[in-house]
Amino acid sequence: MTLSVDVIKRGGQRQPEQFMREKLHASIVATCLSVRVPTGQAEAIAHSVCEAVVAWLQQHPEVTSQDIRIIATKHLRVQHPEAAYLYEQNKITI
Amino acid sequence: MDIPSSLAIISLAALVHASFQLSVSVLTLLGGHSIGAKHSQARLLRLISSFVFGAAVMTVLLLSFVSLTLIWVYGDTPPLVVWAAVSGLLVGVAVCIWLFYYRHDKGTALWIPKSFALYLNDRTKATKLSAESFGLGLSSVLGELLFIIAPLLIAGLVLIQLPSVWQMIGIAIYTGISMLSLIIVWVLIGSGHSLGKIQKWRESNKYFLQFVSGAGLIVLVLFVYAVEIVGSTVGFN
Repeated sequence: MTLSVDVIKRGGQRQPEQFMREKLHASIVATCLSVRVPTGQAEAIAHSVCEAVVAWLQQHPEVTSQDIRIIATKHLRVQHPEAAYLYEQNKITI
Repeated sequence: MDIPSSLAIISLAALVHASFQLSVSVLTLLGGHSIGAKHSQARLLRLISSFVFGAAVMTVLLLSFVSLTLIWVYGDTPPLVVWAAVSGLLVGVAVCIWLFYYRHDKGTALWIPKSFALYLNDRTKATKLSAESFGLGLSSVLGELLFIIAPLLIAGLVLIQLPSVWQMIGIAIYTGISMLSLIIVWVLIGSGHSLGKIQKWRESNKYFLQFVSGAGLIVLVLFVYAVEIVGSTVGFN
């Protein structure tokens, strides 16, 4: 099933873009790998988090990228708190 | 001023420089992106080493530039009024650090222009080559110039009074000590420590680091004031 959700980018200055599950999946995998989670486990965690985010998006046709980050962090925290912490920190480290 | 006192001031100024956090933030992010992109350990080490090297080169260049400018303007004995003015600047920067250094949000975001923070964030993510990483090291030191100018000026004023061999040693000491925080993070990332733990430690202790940076500058001012200004006035120098 394809999901048609507009994602409004940070700051609202760029054009909204379609939600891309693969992009979210890749960012969760990268974060998990950053905290030295094995690749297989990182893929499984990312799959589970993406499922949860997609389920949430079913009721929200227009969201911001920050909303997606918050929901993904919430579900990632259940699976791997340290990775969730780093995912949350990504935009607020510098 | 005698050589041990001069080197002590340079070392303290470098320690204050080392407590500033922009380069550490960029290095942490760079390590995270590199590990997340499944780069090999060798490539990760190359990237973070180039970054640290870039930051060290920019520190040497800035300190040399500041010292050279001071020599051009004042010769090798700057007047007391310059010491007094720089001491005042240091107090001002210390108060600014206590008030503004970190943004009052979650995370370790610093009080630098948002556009520059975004630029560094994007560049960090896009960095794939050692040369880019070296450039990022150069930029991250420049990005914090507003704060590091204070210890650089004091170190420069002290350096220009030293014999030329000791000037080289002074620059090496300043650069080595100011790189300490980056070297610690470099060792931690290189030896496989979790970036989550490093970042958590930095966030938990950010107000302590902020206090230490400001207090370090105040201690530096008191030391310089006692040795240079009071010492000259009562005829010790």
